[in-house]
Amino acid sequence: LLSLQIKSQGLDKDGLKEHCRERPGAFPSKDALQRLSKREFLRTLHTMLGSILHRLTALQRDVPKAQDLETLNRAKQNIRGFRNNIHCMARLLPDSSETTEPTPAVPATSPSPTPTSDTFQRRLEGCRFLHGYHRFMHSVGQVFQEWGESPSRRRRHSPHGGLRKGVRRLQLSRRNKRLPPRGQLPR
Amino acid sequence: MLALQTWIVHALFIFFTTESVGELLDPCGYIKPESPVVQLGSNFTAVCVLKEKCMDYFHVNASYIFWKTNHLTVPKEQYTIINRTASSVTFTDTSLLNTQLTCNIRTFGQIDQNVYGIRIISGLPPEKPKNLSCIVNEGKKMMCQWDPGRETYLETNFTLKSEWATEKFADCKTKRDTPTSCTVDYSPVYFVNIEVWVEAENALGKVTSNHINFDPVDKVKPNPPHNLSVSNSEELSSILKLTWINSSIQGFIRLKYNIQYRTRDSSIWSQIPPEDTASTRSSFTVQDLKPFTEYVFRIRCMKEDGKGFWSDWSEEASGITYEDRPSKAPSFWYKIEPSHTHGYRSVQLIWKTLPPFEANGKILDYEVTLTRWKSRLQNYTVNDTKWTVNITNDRYIATLTARNLVGKSDAAVLTIPAYDFQGNLAESKCYLITVTPIYADGPGSPESIKAYLKQAPPSKGPTVRTKKVGKNEAVLEWDQLPVDVQNGFIRNYTIFYRTIIGNETAVNVDSSHTEYTLSSLTSDTLYMVRMAAYTDEGGKDGPEFTFTTPKFAQGEIEAIVVPVCLAFLLTTLLGVLFCFNKRDLIKKHIWPNVPDPSKSLIAQWSPHTPPRHNFNSKDQMYSDGNFTDVSVVEIEAANDKKPFPEDLKSLDLFKKEKVSTEGHSSGIGGSSCMSSSRPSISSSDENESAQNTSGTVQYSTVVHSGYRHQVPSVQVFSRSESTQPLLDSEERPEDLQLLDNTDSSVGNFPRQQYFKQNCSQRETSPDSSHSERSKQVSSVSEEEFVRLKQQISGISQPYGSGQMKMFQEISVADAFGPRTEGQVERLETVGMEAAVDEGMPKSYLPQTVRRGGYMPQ
Repeated sequence: LLSLQIKSQGLDKDGLKEHCRERPGAFPSKDALQRLSKREFLRTLHTMLGSILHRLTALQRDVPKAQDLETLNRAKQNIRGFRNNIHCMARLLPDSSETTEPTPAVPATSPSPTPTSDTFQRRLEGCRFLHGYHRFMHSVGQVFQEWGESPSRRRRHSPHGGLRKGVRRLQLSRRNKRLPPRGQLPR
Repeated sequence: MLALQTWIVHALFIFFTTESVGELLDPCGYIKPESPVVQLGSNFTAVCVLKEKCMDYFHVNASYIFWKTNHLTVPKEQYTIINRTASSVTFTDTSLLNTQLTCNIRTFGQIDQNVYGIRIISGLPPEKPKNLSCIVNEGKKMMCQWDPGRETYLETNFTLKSEWATEKFADCKTKRDTPTSCTVDYSPVYFVNIEVWVEAENALGKVTSNHINFDPVDKVKPNPPHNLSVSNSEELSSILKLTWINSSIQGFIRLKYNIQYRTRDSSIWSQIPPEDTASTRSSFTVQDLKPFTEYVFRIRCMKEDGKGFWSDWSEEASGITYEDRPSKAPSFWYKIEPSHTHGYRSVQLIWKTLPPFEANGKILDYEVTLTRWKSRLQNYTVNDTKWTVNITNDRYIATLTARNLVGKSDAAVLTIPAYDFQGNLAESKCYLITVTPIYADGPGSPESIKAYLKQAPPSKGPTVRTKKVGKNEAVLEWDQLPVDVQNGFIRNYTIFYRTIIGNETAVNVDSSHTEYTLSSLTSDTLYMVRMAAYTDEGGKDGPEFTFTTPKFAQGEIEAIVVPVCLAFLLTTLLGVLFCFNKRDLIKKHIWPNVPDPSKSLIAQWSPHTPPRHNFNSKDQMYSDGNFTDVSVVEIEAANDKKPFPEDLKSLDLFKKEKVSTEGHSSGIGGSSCMSSSRPSISSSDENESAQNTSGTVQYSTVVHSGYRHQVPSVQVFSRSESTQPLLDSEERPEDLQLLDNTDSSVGNFPRQQYFKQNCSQRETSPDSSHSERSKQVSSVSEEEFVRLKQQISGISQPYGSGQMKMFQEISVADAFGPRTEGQVERLETVGMEAAVDEGMPKSYLPQTVRRGGYMPQ
C-alpha cells in the first residue's frame, strides 16, 4: 500500500520520499508491544486495526485509479480478516484480572490525521500513516513470532516486565484449565 | 406467476360469463382460498360462497353448487353445504401438481354456470440442503454448491449465507439457472475462518443446511503451473528436465504436484510417483526415459497438505531425450552374384534401418568390415542400407555396425562361405541348421534346429552320483552328456541299482531330467548304481557308483535320545519332588533328628505319664530303633520265666557303663517338682554321646498325656537337667498326642520309658532295673535323698492335684509298700548295689517296678 500510495500520490520524487516517515507516536513501537501481556497486546492490536481501517477508508477518497482502489479494498478486507482472527484469539484467552492492570503505555487512540485542508499535506499524512502502518504490522509479526518461542526469549526483551508476565502466564495457564474461555471484545 | 395464472382464470371466467349472460357481470361468487399452495399428499378444502344478488337472480343456493377440477366434476361425496350461500369441497391426499378448480351452479335446471375458478398449486417444502461445499478458484471469488434435495415442484429460493466471527457478509442469491450453487461477491480472505450455510425457501417452508466452517485457503483450487518447458541432457539420454512457473498462490501456501507424461504417439499417461513431487518446486527431472524419444508432459498442483482441490492441468509441453548409441546391431544378409572376373564374385550386403527404439538417435552411417581367412581387416563406411563388393571366392566374415551421434552399435556378424563350399557332413555329429527367411524388405526371424545325419549310441555313459542319501531313499544326479559324446538325441536314461546280494532294478528316466530319487531302499545297505543313456540307436552305460544308506534317518537318533533324556529328567525330577515332600519320613528313617538341648525351656515336671506296666520289655527294649535307652527289663512273672541270661548279661554290661559315666553327669533336676537330680540312665551309645556333647545343657519334656485316658487337670511339664539328649519322639508333639490316645499301646512305650528316665527318676526307679537304680543313687545328692524320703513318706498324704491323684491310683493299684523301703535302703547304700542287683533278679518283675516307681509324694 505504501508504494502504491507513494506512486499514486506522486510522492515518488527525490526530496519528497524523505518526508514520508512515520509520525512518532502514531503507532506503538515494537518495544512497547513486546512489553504488553498477550491480552493487552491483542486488545491494542484490535483497536489499532480498527483505526487503521478507518484511516484507509479516508484514504480511499484520494485514490484516483480503480485498480488502486481495488488494491486498497483488498487490503482493507485482509485487515478485517486479521482483526477477526485477533478477536477470536482474544476470546480464547481467559478473562482475567488483567483488566485491573495498568493501561499499557501505547496509544489507545486512533492514529488520526491532523485535519488539514491542504491536499499536499493530506497526501503526505497518508503516506506517513502508511509508513507507520507497515512498520507497525512488521512489529506485530515479530511479536507473534516471539509468542511461539520460549518465554525466556520474551523476558530477555523486557527485563522489567518479563518476570511479572512470566508469573502471569503461569496463572493464565492455570486458569485456562479451570475456566472456559470467555471472550471480551476490546473496545 | 401465480398471480398471472389467477388473473387468467378470472379473465376467462368474465369472458364466459359475459358470453353466456350477454353482459359483463360481476362474479356470482368467489372461492376461498384465492391462490392456494398445497403440499402434495395433504388435504385441501376450498369454499365457494355465492353472492345474494346472484342467488336471487338464478334462484339458487349453496346446494346448487358443484365443483369441477380440470373440467371434471368432483363427486358430491366431497361436498359439504356449510350454509345457504357456501359450499366446500375437500380433497384428500392431493397429488395433482397444478389443478384448476371451479365452482359452478346449475341454473334453470339445465344451464351450468361457472361461478369462480382458482388454480391449486401443489408441491413440497424444501429439503435441508446437503453436501454444502465451497471452492476458491485462485484469483476468483468463492463459489459454493450443495445438493438441494428432492424436487419441490415449487419455486424455491436458495440463499448462501456467510459470516466471520465479527461480521456478516452479504447474502448470495442463486440464479435461476444455477439454483444449487452461488458465487459470493467478496474476495475470500485466506487464513480467516468463515462460516457458510444455505437457506432454502419456498411457499411451503424454509430450511437451513448445516453450517460449515473453514479456512478459504483449504478450499483453494490453484491456477495450474504455467510456462512448462522441457529440456534434455547430453550427459544422460534417459532424462528430461521440466521447469515451470508456479501460480502466485505459492506465496501463501506450499504446493504439491502431479506430473504426467507420455510418448508422442501414445495416448496413455504415466505419472511420476506423487511422493516424489510432494513439495513446492519449480522443476523436476524425469528419469528412466527412452533415448531419443519425444515425450509430452503436463503438470498440476494443489495445496501440499491435500486440502483443497487440484488445479487444472497445465498446457502440455514436449521434449526429446538425448541420443544414445544404437542398442542393437542391424540385421544383414548377403546376395552373391556371379562376377565377370575369374576368381572373384560380387557380394551384396543388405540390411534394414534400425527402428527408432533401437537406433536411439539418428543413424549417421554404417560401418562394414570384411575379413578373409587369416587376413587383414578391411573397414568400409556406408551411408546406404546396402553395399556391394567384389571379393574372392574365399570364405569371409562380414560385420556391420550402425553409428549415430553418440556411438556405434554392437556388430552383427555374417559368414560369407567360400565359393566352392560343399557340405561335408559327418555321421553322429550334431548340426545346428538355421534358416533365415528373406523378404522384400529384409530378413525375417531366423529359425534353427539341431540335426544329425545319422545317430549312433552315445560314446560315453552318464556319470551318476548321489546328491543326498537317506535311510530309505537316495537322490541321484548326473550331468547331461556333452554334445560330442551324445552321437544322437538322448531319448532317455536308465538307472540300474542293486545291493550286493540283490537283483538289479532298472528305472527309466526322461532325458530332460538330471536328477532322480530312488525310494524304498533298505537302510544300512550298500547299493551299486549305474546309468545308461540311450539314443535312437542304442545306449551306453556309465561308470558304477556305490553308496550306503545310513542306519538311521536324519533326526531319528535325536528322536530316540531326546525323549529318553526327557523321561530320565522327568523321573529324576519326580524323585526329587517325592523326596522333598516325604523328607520327614525319610529323615526319620535315615537320619533322625538330634534335638538341640539348648532349646529346652520347660522347667516343670509332670508326673502325669505313668509308665507302662504290662509292656513286653524284651520287644520294646530291643526292637525299636528309636528306643535308645534301655531302662526297663520286664520279666513276666506269670509265666514264671527266668530272665534270659543274655538280658542279664547285657544289663551287667550296661550297669558298668553307666557307673563309669555317672561321674560326668551333672546334678540336675533337683529343683523340679517330682524331679530328681539323678541323671537319666541310658544304655545306648546315643545317650552317651549326648552326654559328652551336652554335658552342661538342660532340657525337658512336655508331658501331654494322662494315664489310661485320664486327662491331667494341670498342664505340667517335666524338666530334666540331664545331659542325655532328647529322643526324637520327645520333640514331636504328635507322638505325645499319640500318647494321650493310646497310652496303653505298645507304640508309646518308648516315650514312657524316656519320660521316666529324664523327668521322674523316682518314678521310674521302680520300673528300672537295679542297675539303673544304682546309677541313680550314685548321682543324687543328699538333699534329693531327703526329698525322696519325703515323697515316699507322703504317699498317704492327700493331694489335691491331678498328678498326685494319678500317682496315688497307681500306687494303690500296683505299688508295694515293702518295695519302697527296699528302694530306700538301696538308695542309702550305694556300695551294696551290685550285690543287690545280682541277687535280686525278681526285681525286674513288673509289680516291683510299679510299686517303687509311682509312689506319690
